[in-house]
Amino acid sequence: MPDIGQSLGAAIAIAFGALSTGWAQSRIGSAGAGTIAEKPELIGAAIILEAIPETMVILGFVVAAMILML
Amino acid sequence: MEKILVIGSREHAQRAVDVLYRTGTLHLTDVTDHLSAEEIRLRKWDSEIREKMAGLLVKIGGVLLTLPDIKGQESRWREMYEELYWRETSDIIEEASSIVSTLEERIRELSTRKTDCELRIKAYDRYQKTIEKIRPLEEQLPSLEGFEVTVLLIQTEFADLIPLIEHELYRITRNQCEMVSAEIDEDTIAAITVFNKRFSDEVHSFIFTKNVNEVRLPQEYMGKPFEEVLELIERGRRACREEQDEIEQTLRSLSEKWYLKLSVMKHVLSDKLQEIEVFSNFGQTDYVFAITGWVPARSLEKTKKAISRKFGNRVVIADLVLSGEDLEQAPSLYANPWIVRPFEFFMQLVRPPLYTEIDPSPLLAFFFPLFFGLMVGDIGYGLVILGIALVVKKRYADQGWVQSVMNVMIISSVPTMFFGFMYGEFFGDFGEKMGWLHPVHLFGISLNRIEAILPLLILSIGLGVLHVMLGLVLGIINARHMKHRKHMAEKAGMLAVIAGGILMLASLAGVLPSVPVFAGAIVLVAGLPLIVYGAGAIGLLEIMGTVGNILSYSRLMAIGMASVILAMVANELGGTLEILLLGVIVAALLHSLNIVLAMFSPSLHSIRLHVVECYSKFYEGGGTPYHPFQRVKEG
Repeated sequence: MPDIGQSLGAAIAIAFGALSTGWAQSRIGSAGAGTIAEKPELIGAAIILEAIPETMVILGFVVAAMILML
Repeated sequence: MEKILVIGSREHAQRAVDVLYRTGTLHLTDVTDHLSAEEIRLRKWDSEIREKMAGLLVKIGGVLLTLPDIKGQESRWREMYEELYWRETSDIIEEASSIVSTLEERIRELSTRKTDCELRIKAYDRYQKTIEKIRPLEEQLPSLEGFEVTVLLIQTEFADLIPLIEHELYRITRNQCEMVSAEIDEDTIAAITVFNKRFSDEVHSFIFTKNVNEVRLPQEYMGKPFEEVLELIERGRRACREEQDEIEQTLRSLSEKWYLKLSVMKHVLSDKLQEIEVFSNFGQTDYVFAITGWVPARSLEKTKKAISRKFGNRVVIADLVLSGEDLEQAPSLYANPWIVRPFEFFMQLVRPPLYTEIDPSPLLAFFFPLFFGLMVGDIGYGLVILGIALVVKKRYADQGWVQSVMNVMIISSVPTMFFGFMYGEFFGDFGEKMGWLHPVHLFGISLNRIEAILPLLILSIGLGVLHVMLGLVLGIINARHMKHRKHMAEKAGMLAVIAGGILMLASLAGVLPSVPVFAGAIVLVAGLPLIVYGAGAIGLLEIMGTVGNILSYSRLMAIGMASVILAMVANELGGTLEILLLGVIVAALLHSLNIVLAMFSPSLHSIRLHVVECYSKFYEGGGTPYHPFQRVKEG
């Protein structure tokens, strides 16, 4: 059973990662939607760009899982 | 790719273009890029005929649109096409113009009559509906002497206006008015209004100013009993239908005579027009014509044979000698085995490769299914994904991109099932709970994804190291091909730094105890000057970027873990419900959601790992895709 410090650490690790990813994706998503409206051929690039900030929450998740389970 | 020059006597120019168009192997280039004005005084081909053909095509299209289609003459169509295609373009234009001018006037007249009949039938329908609605009032009408009846048509969306109009009419007629409204179809409401004739002018003027439609029955219906009017309407409608049948019959007989020929002419002229569109690339003198372009090496013989069969040696193909610079301009053509071909679809996400650089599709074809399998890793999910892919592939057999994506899913479902076996997963931990399978033990480690977080993290990052280093090696090969020495040094330096860093870590962790730490440090430090030489001091910052790229592969473990946890939640939730059927439904719904996510998210992240982390180490892109000069497929 993880202690309160571990739980808090895991929560911080994933929460900030998730918030940052969400914020970045909202900006990229709206810009991407505008781009696709004008140049539909750039849809592939827009999808890739949208996936880039997910690294933050994924690494946050990895850290949180390691804090809780190791 | 081979660059060729097609040259011959000018009288054969049009035919030679026809042969090249039908062969469909030549990627055209501007002839003046290769033959300058000093070498040969070339004139560009004029294309005045283009306007004429485009106009004619529009007219033929219009005629074909009116004539009913004649089906089941495919073989005759092909014969006629072959016969017509090789005729002189000017002859085809002349014949087509004559047919169109004969038919155009006739078709227009028939078409106008047909439309007129349709409009009349619609009007009759409306009169009938209106009269049927006001029929119950017929008995009252004689007693309404001194009163006038009018019918207003109002769109259903403006139904709210009816009470307002009614109120206004009451005001105008000083309450000597009656209004009954009823729907005549889903879009229209008829409001029948009876009012004192004394107020006729004011009422009509009010209706006119408010822009409300009034039904004005034809003069011949006026003063007749409704029964008789309905009979007249029916008679009129029947006459219209008879006229329509007669028009259809005439159109069918015209179609039998002309449809096939016009349809063939349309396709031949459209093909010739496509040829003319690229005439600006060709050159000619008073006596010869010249065409240049790229042909894939494997299609060169076919192209030469097609030309020599038609013209002997009156038109010849010469292979041009190319410099390295010329080769950089060559168009790129993917030439991959069948297993790699579906993955070429994902290459549309980046700019097409240069002819001189390595095509990354085989790399994608190997690593994409591997990453996908590592992330999804479930026998049950693999089977479902395989099933969905096979069904969708069959259902959308005519959609090229769907076929590519589903083939990728079919290929990826195999490693998914393999890793599912390794992790001991069948719909999450359902298989393990049922005792059907268990996680494999490898080097004393159980591959249960919930327990083996660290080993799987190390495996993911290890794959990242391998993938990024492979990218750097390909970068060195590309730089060597393109003779970019600095790029080569930068990639080699980065490779040394990464390799040195890994050696140091392995030595410190006791994985490679025989390698001293300083050996790794020497390799690492040796890489630094190469990076500085290749990319300047700022290039050193790129080391952190590359380390970030490698750590990014930890998503292989993280996404997989999120997927297995959701699968376990589905099983737990389904298991806690006391009604079996409800439990199965809840678990099935959650698993379905997880499978949809599993098809989308791991694909996206797998592509992202390639495009962002790996391709950035070697891929430049910006090439021209190979587009042979041939008929553009319609539809």
